[in-house]
Amino acid sequence: MTPLLAFVTPKLAALIGAAIVVVVLAMTAGLWVPGAEHTGGSIWRIAKITVAEARRRRVTQAVVVLVLLILLSMTFFSYLNPREQARMLISGGLSAITVFGILLAIFVAAFLIPQELESRTVYAILSKPVRRFEFVLGKYLGALIVLAAILTVMTAVLVAVLLIEDWFVPDRADSVFDPNIGNVVFAAVMSYFAVALLAAYIVLISTVSSTAMTVITSFIIWVIGSLQSRIRDLALEATSVFQKLFFTVFYLVMPPLENFDFRHEVSNFMPLSYYSGVYAAGKGIVYILVVLLFASIFFNDRQV
Amino acid sequence: MASNDIILQIDGLTKVYRSLFAPVGVKAVDELNLSVRRGETYSIVGPNGSGKTTTLKIILGLIFPTSGATTIFGKSIADLGVRERIGFLPEDAYLYDVFNGEELLDFYAGLFGYPKQRRAELVDELLSLVGMQANRRVRFRECSKGMRQRLALAQALVNDPELLILDEPTSGLDPSGRHQMTRLILELKRRGKTILLCSHFLAEVEEVCDRVGIMYRGRLVGEGTLTELAGDPTEIVITTDGLTADGAKDVTAHSAVLSVDDGVVRMGHQSGEELWAVLDRVRQAGGRVVEVTRPRPSLQDVFVRAIGQDTTEEIQ
Repeated sequence: MTPLLAFVTPKLAALIGAAIVVVVLAMTAGLWVPGAEHTGGSIWRIAKITVAEARRRRVTQAVVVLVLLILLSMTFFSYLNPREQARMLISGGLSAITVFGILLAIFVAAFLIPQELESRTVYAILSKPVRRFEFVLGKYLGALIVLAAILTVMTAVLVAVLLIEDWFVPDRADSVFDPNIGNVVFAAVMSYFAVALLAAYIVLISTVSSTAMTVITSFIIWVIGSLQSRIRDLALEATSVFQKLFFTVFYLVMPPLENFDFRHEVSNFMPLSYYSGVYAAGKGIVYILVVLLFASIFFNDRQV
Repeated sequence: MASNDIILQIDGLTKVYRSLFAPVGVKAVDELNLSVRRGETYSIVGPNGSGKTTTLKIILGLIFPTSGATTIFGKSIADLGVRERIGFLPEDAYLYDVFNGEELLDFYAGLFGYPKQRRAELVDELLSLVGMQANRRVRFRECSKGMRQRLALAQALVNDPELLILDEPTSGLDPSGRHQMTRLILELKRRGKTILLCSHFLAEVEEVCDRVGIMYRGRLVGEGTLTELAGDPTEIVITTDGLTADGAKDVTAHSAVLSVDDGVVRMGHQSGEELWAVLDRVRQAGGRVVEVTRPRPSLQDVFVRAIGQDTTEEIQ
């Protein structure tokens, strides 16, 4: 590791993130502290109505049905041997959960705030005793619950498919169908963290831009966030200080989505480092808190 | 007047909308001064684009002023305590369209921290008040314009507010819906609510308001009670019957008469002797006097006088 990046270990990055949270919280205490007893209730109420609204939107229902059909359709393919069949099912299933989870995150989170502004439903809420950060956090929490529910259903269907296949596919002496359920669930949970993190970034963008711009930027962030190791390499290989600094900042600012991707290890029956999963989740939570803090600050100054 | 009688105070409010690429911003509100007293119904009237809605949005803290200050109950709108005492009806009733009236009111009541039992009572009370009990389970997207507007008014009343801010409450409603909404506003006025109303339906304003502020190009160009704004009647109108064309010419010849049109004689506000002289002339010309009135200028007349003829087509 070059001297410039040497000090930016993942642990230090997480600590810096936590420090930023504390400092910005302290700086904006006036925004957060008074009337705190009312805050939880408003956030929860807004989250609940966001969930109820998403449940009734036909587009959410349609996407869930589509994903379930894709997962179920995978049972119709046959492979050379049981192990290969398990590998393909796990890989395909986890990929479907990750990709559709991310797409859902983009389409749920990108519309959360801009749609409220465009349909002007926000007027009746913000004229009530609701602080703007409560509105942002409530909308985000609502999106998290919706995404958690959908990913749980998708994971449950994948697990069910694997168990049914395990029942039907006869093991052979040289190859067994090992559904590896525990690791599959672990990978799905990690995908949920990636989805939650990306959703936070999308909410941040949506506080300052339109729906269309938010959707486009979200896709770009997804791609960049999935290529973080490449950005890190660019920072390491950079020859000038400016380039090194640019790629380092870029590496730190973009969501570390790659950290949550355990598909390869799980589908290839490789040993898993649960510690790295827990560490990635912790780091992700710090990122989410920092991003939501900035989203709240930006939305607080937005003219609606 | 005691300062606690002033519920809403606006001082030197200016709002300039700037865009990134335009060198000069658009001034939507220009040095606006205005105050609303406890228990009164105050209406801001003006054509589209005169700055009415911008003013309301600043009052509610939805957008921020370029300069000037607004206080409600002597405090900033940023104070949550202030927002617990006001209700807002946005123009064109923007509420979540996948929910029904019962669910919507329960949600908005929840934002004030009311417990479940109280929320249920409130929902019943408000749906009865706005006449939506029978349609309480109809989704907002399936409601008629009038029903939507009544539900939006109900959500504004969910906290039993002291100050009610209504933005174009009858906009888009048919005559029957407009009548119902006006009746509701009068009922709220009777209950002692302070009401700030933005409208360009002058007839509705005349019916419900105690004071009127006329806004034009971001400025307040007239303010007062309707009597103050209208001033003393300046004309006398004599409605006649049986006046021939020649007779009308005789009457018009009198110096106090302004016009005679289709049997209606208009004369300037003169002395009693002048009036008797004109009445005599009507009789001599073969006409019969049906009615003599001193009409007060309507709000429409006041409005035209305040801002000129060019924008009156936007006002109904």
